[in-house]
Amino acid sequence: MIKVSNLNAYYGQFHVLKDVNITVEEKGVVVILGPNGHGKSTLLKSICGLAERITGDISLNGTPISQLPTEKIVDLGVVYIAETRELFPNMTVLENLKLGAYSKHARPFEAQNLEKVLDLFPRLADRRGQMASTMSGGEAKMLAIARGLMSNATFLAVDEPSLGLQPNLRTEVFNTIQTINEQGMTILLVEQNIPQIAQLASKIYVLEEGQITFEGSKDEAVSDDHLKEIFLGM
Amino acid sequence: MFNEDTILLLYEITDVIIAGLSNGSVYALMAIGMTLVYGVTKAFNFAYGDFFNMGGYFAWILIVGLGLQFGGYITVLIIVLPLLFLVGYGLEKFMVAPLRKRADWENRVMMLTLGLALFLSNLYMVLFGTKLKSLPPIMDGILEIGQIVFSYQDIMIFVLSLGGILTFGWLLNNTRTGMAVRAVAQNPEGAKIVGINIKRIFASTFAISTVMVGFGGILLSQKLFINPTSGGSIMVKAWVVTAFGGMGSIRGGLYAAFIIGMMEAFVGWIFGMSYTIIALFVLLLATLVIRPQGLMGKGA
Repeated sequence: MIKVSNLNAYYGQFHVLKDVNITVEEKGVVVILGPNGHGKSTLLKSICGLAERITGDISLNGTPISQLPTEKIVDLGVVYIAETRELFPNMTVLENLKLGAYSKHARPFEAQNLEKVLDLFPRLADRRGQMASTMSGGEAKMLAIARGLMSNATFLAVDEPSLGLQPNLRTEVFNTIQTINEQGMTILLVEQNIPQIAQLASKIYVLEEGQITFEGSKDEAVSDDHLKEIFLGM
Repeated sequence: MFNEDTILLLYEITDVIIAGLSNGSVYALMAIGMTLVYGVTKAFNFAYGDFFNMGGYFAWILIVGLGLQFGGYITVLIIVLPLLFLVGYGLEKFMVAPLRKRADWENRVMMLTLGLALFLSNLYMVLFGTKLKSLPPIMDGILEIGQIVFSYQDIMIFVLSLGGILTFGWLLNNTRTGMAVRAVAQNPEGAKIVGINIKRIFASTFAISTVMVGFGGILLSQKLFINPTSGGSIMVKAWVVTAFGGMGSIRGGLYAAFIIGMMEAFVGWIFGMSYTIIALFVLLLATLVIRPQGLMGKGA
């Protein structure tokens, strides 16, 4: 379980997150909705030790992690999957995946996890020798998710997995996330305005101007007039 | 078949080629070390040439100063290379890394290493005096193949620096740390995400680059002299090779080093040694005008 309490994050002069509190239950899928540039990515990055400057508490199953460097957080099984993918362009798909298992606790499971992710993404198996820079947007997205899974994580922070994908690939990515969750992974997911994703959610938060403005189940979200208007366009 | 003059000319050309290869191999070592630091840490080390001299002085202390008898250069390398590694690691960890947190850190690092270069060359003068020092050759004697004569010194310089480069290339492609170094060079943010301790990689990269240039210093100081104030011009030469090859490109640095080594040897033979530096800068100017990203650089 991840618990974020009174989190404040800063980007240079900007105060991006203001006293944010969220809880992600074990094996849950928590979705954070919100307009672009309101701090969703920063929230995920803060949890994974990638934000510039933060104050407040973040704990993983009771262990404080807010002051740990990213590599320690990855070692504890928390991994970030970037909206911008952040692959290694001049390395092959296989090398990218192997680097996904770089952290100490992932190394013993490298072979086993490789088999698992290639099973989950058969297309990557066909392209294991291809340079990451030559992949299409959808394939690169899958590689980014697969690389994250190689870390043997128990908690995935997924940043806008559907961004820039055509609808059928979007569905594929969401189905994959659902499968991963069913296999026992806890997922915190950020999306801008995709109603589709609400189907997966065990809990929804809305982040606007750096503050949580809504917290509730998907049924509550769907019946909230303000939310309907801004995100679901209904 | 050939008259005597032609044969003599051929021998001379062979000599020039051998000199070009042996210098070129050391330049390759130096250029790869420099391009590595730039490619991975985005920092430019102005004290680079002074670490070349540091390698030379360390070897001098052991061989001449302490009169080391046992094992010759093998012992020297076993002692000096790890020492250089520690120096480079410490430099990054305690001096460069703290600056990295600030805005405009690249310029601060430039000033830091510029200051360090001045400090080191003056330190060398205080410790070793202004007189040039020389190192004995790794191996005396010559190897005769038919009529062609190779000095063992040139052969050893070539073999050892090439060995250094190949070892480095192997480590880069086949070890976990090597893969992490490449990952940081290609995408530092991605490297952080997969759990690579990029601070440690930065320091290790500085350390490896210091080892490479210092190793070059040990090798080349047997042919040249160790000069306490030559760091700047050595850094410039390493930089010209690196820029010609393309900043951040290891393969480019390797090709550039051999091209420049050969060019120097031939220019020196045809026009005289004082023209080599002119040729070097003509090449640099031509590179900057025609192909500013260098042979294998990716451009801005």
